[in-house]
Amino acid sequence: MMAWLEGTALATWTRESPSIWAYPAILTLHTVGLGIVVGANAVVDFRLLGFAPRIRIPALSPLFRIILWAFVLNAVTGFVLFMSDATTKSAQLVFYVKLTLIALALWNALVVRRALRRGPEWELVPSRYKRLAVLSLVLWAGAITAGRLMAYL
Amino acid sequence: MDAFVEWLRATPLSQAIVFSIWIWPACETIHFIGLTLVIGIVGFFDLRLIGFFKRISVAAARDLMPIAIAGFLLNLATGLVFLIGHPEQYAHNAAWWWKVGFLGLAGLNAAIFEVAIGPQAIGLAEGGETPIGAKVVGAVSLVSWFGVLYCGRMLPYLGSAF
Repeated sequence: MMAWLEGTALATWTRESPSIWAYPAILTLHTVGLGIVVGANAVVDFRLLGFAPRIRIPALSPLFRIILWAFVLNAVTGFVLFMSDATTKSAQLVFYVKLTLIALALWNALVVRRALRRGPEWELVPSRYKRLAVLSLVLWAGAITAGRLMAYL
Repeated sequence: MDAFVEWLRATPLSQAIVFSIWIWPACETIHFIGLTLVIGIVGFFDLRLIGFFKRISVAAARDLMPIAIAGFLLNLATGLVFLIGHPEQYAHNAAWWWKVGFLGLAGLNAAIFEVAIGPQAIGLAEGGETPIGAKVVGAVSLVSWFGVLYCGRMLPYLGSAF
């Protein structure tokens, strides 16, 4: 299965083309998407933790649409990067750690998004959402760390 | 410049960075985390300047800026580690000089905002339409920070760094 993925035309092109529009462009898009997904989540998380109290929390909900599209970009570019080196990456424990951390961070983001869409006018953010904000920052930082370590382990 | 590069490479600090197995990956990880803070928080402020998120006042959106500055300082520090460790792979790397150029543009743009355009935009209430100057500053900021990100990620491919 992994060998088949790696042998597809798309995987071969990504891996072997000398064009900067192949592997380098896909990798750069993956980094752009990462910056937007994690950065936009961080805006929400830091607000929930009490920074920038003048920002009305429900007004941040449109950020989740941006997060969604950037995440789709990263799911697609991530899958193509995986295909190009599937036999190696599928054998890396740290890759599964990364996927698990992303799944947990996404679930966390969905819970926060649902709360923001109810339009809460919190004087003080409930401690449950502060805990979710800390968890979100930790999970995304962990996913970045695991992703970076894939190049080293 | 080559003499300086050679001198820097021979320093004990440069040697320590290169011979450590963990300093480089650890700094890369921190560099990525820092970039998300800059892109996320500066990008959010830029979008407000351009005219999105009107339910949030410009002043309120700006309150998150210390976190972006913290992210930038993380990246300045870890970027210096890369530069001290392997100065030779940046000194003649066009992508690196472009990256420095985009950083300079982002800095100049921010300075123009602080001095000339900011006071008026920051005084706007929630729902306020930003002046055209503020929209231009927001757009230039977005372009320059994504330019920094692009050139940084392309260092190994446009130039020869890793």
